[in-house]
Amino acid sequence: MSAVLSRTAKLRHPVAGTLAVLGYVVMIVPILFVVATAFTAGSTLRFPPDGLSLRWFGEAVAYSPFLEAVVSSLELAVLATGLALLLGVPVTLAIHRGRLPGKDLLEGLFLSPLVVPELVVGLALYQQLMIGLRLDNFTTLLLGHTALLLPYAVRVTGASLALADPALEEAARGLGASPLRAFVTVTLPMLRPGLISAGLLGFVTSFNNVPLSLLLQTRDFRTLPPAMLDYVQQSYDPMVAAASTLVLAATVVVAVVAERTVGFAKIFGGINR
Amino acid sequence: MRARSSLLLLLPGLAFLLVGFLLPAVAMLFAPPGVGFAQVLERMATMLTDPYDLGIIWRTVRIGLIVTALCVVLGFPIASLLARSQSRWAGVLLALAIFPLLLSNVVRTFGWLVVLGSNGVIGQVLTGLGIVEEAPQLLYTELAIVLGLVQLFLPLAVITCYSAVAQVDPGLDEAARGLGASRTRAFWTILVPLSLPGIVVAATLVFAGSVTAYTTPYLLGGSSQRLLSTQLFSYASVTVDWAAASATAIVMTVLVFLVSGISTLAGRKGATA
Repeated sequence: MSAVLSRTAKLRHPVAGTLAVLGYVVMIVPILFVVATAFTAGSTLRFPPDGLSLRWFGEAVAYSPFLEAVVSSLELAVLATGLALLLGVPVTLAIHRGRLPGKDLLEGLFLSPLVVPELVVGLALYQQLMIGLRLDNFTTLLLGHTALLLPYAVRVTGASLALADPALEEAARGLGASPLRAFVTVTLPMLRPGLISAGLLGFVTSFNNVPLSLLLQTRDFRTLPPAMLDYVQQSYDPMVAAASTLVLAATVVVAVVAERTVGFAKIFGGINR
Repeated sequence: MRARSSLLLLLPGLAFLLVGFLLPAVAMLFAPPGVGFAQVLERMATMLTDPYDLGIIWRTVRIGLIVTALCVVLGFPIASLLARSQSRWAGVLLALAIFPLLLSNVVRTFGWLVVLGSNGVIGQVLTGLGIVEEAPQLLYTELAIVLGLVQLFLPLAVITCYSAVAQVDPGLDEAARGLGASRTRAFWTILVPLSLPGIVVAATLVFAGSVTAYTTPYLLGGSSQRLLSTQLFSYASVTVDWAAASATAIVMTVLVFLVSGISTLAGRKGATA
């Protein structure tokens, strides 16, 4: 595909085309090598692989620390995303539909977890909540991930709400619907694309998180990315390549779901603005 | 919606934001347990004069600047070619550039271990061709960190530049071309200046991401190429030096705020000019 890009581009834009191809190489090629080394039959992480086998996939799937970590990561990501939406949507409603002073300031406050480095937040939660208040690490992780995902919930659903006409809700109320009924039957359907986008973004962000989660790991509850980092540091075998390939495959599934439901580019277009 | 009901909608989210983010962050930065703020300030003063600490700060900033420049130089051409392309492949290529944003940083960074490692792709190719006797040390160098971070943040640069380019009226390029400007000239005098606000946003996001990233410097830089993030982690979990951890966290946060502030100011100036 980058050949297509270079062919169409080089004819008219030789410099830009070359830079673009180089960019794609840096973004994509290392990932392809991970996949290639995962199928090795040998026991070292090398390229070209020594023969082909599925041996390391078997080992990765049977390696209980990874299995437990996948379950923990899924559990945390689902709960944190759900909680962030449950808390974030009312906030969005209050900011966009309510009569409150200082709306910009409020929105800024809810976006602030995006600005402070996650590693710094992780350190703060570790020191203040886990050590200071002796909260267990699951509770701390859930609090931290939820706060981290609130900006996504508030901003992405806010973008949907800004497009929705408040007159429709008023019409429903005028026709006798209760506030709750007007919300469920009129506002919620209009929020659907925003909810799906925020949900997908939140889930992926939480599931992949390293910097915030790193200091909050214990033997009882570990998430997958830090568990993989630890493993790489200790042993240099192709099992992590196999585990990475499985994560990649799962991510492709998420991407296809994202593309089919709201469209890929839209999901990421919303958060930077 | 009445102010009181808006406030009720706001409160649960606000409570989570305070407990899961704001209060711990403020407490950690300014009053770590058993350490006064005076000691944090003192530690910060040593950091800003000690050659070792200054070296880490400078390396972090330098790598951040190089990565930012590379991401803009590679990302803008991708964005402008895709935004202006009529080809049906453009959508696929855009999805391919965005997809890595969904993929775990650990998986993406792990690819460079396969490429740059001593048994890695580059080493094998170079020794195989007889260009060098022994595979060069590529891993645990600044180059490795730069490559890893460019891979990590290029998708962000592409999507941010893409929305900027897409907002520039293609008629303007055509008008410039019609008036006799070369493609190169139209690119530099029309497309680049008009997309500049987007480029500034992209650069800010990439820089802030690079100076706070943990996974990449940890895996690709090792202990010989410490950055602020890896240093912060070691203060927090290995030496448990709260004063040094808070001082490092403040330096990192101030660095990010400073750059975001400058870019916001630049954006405002650009808007009024």
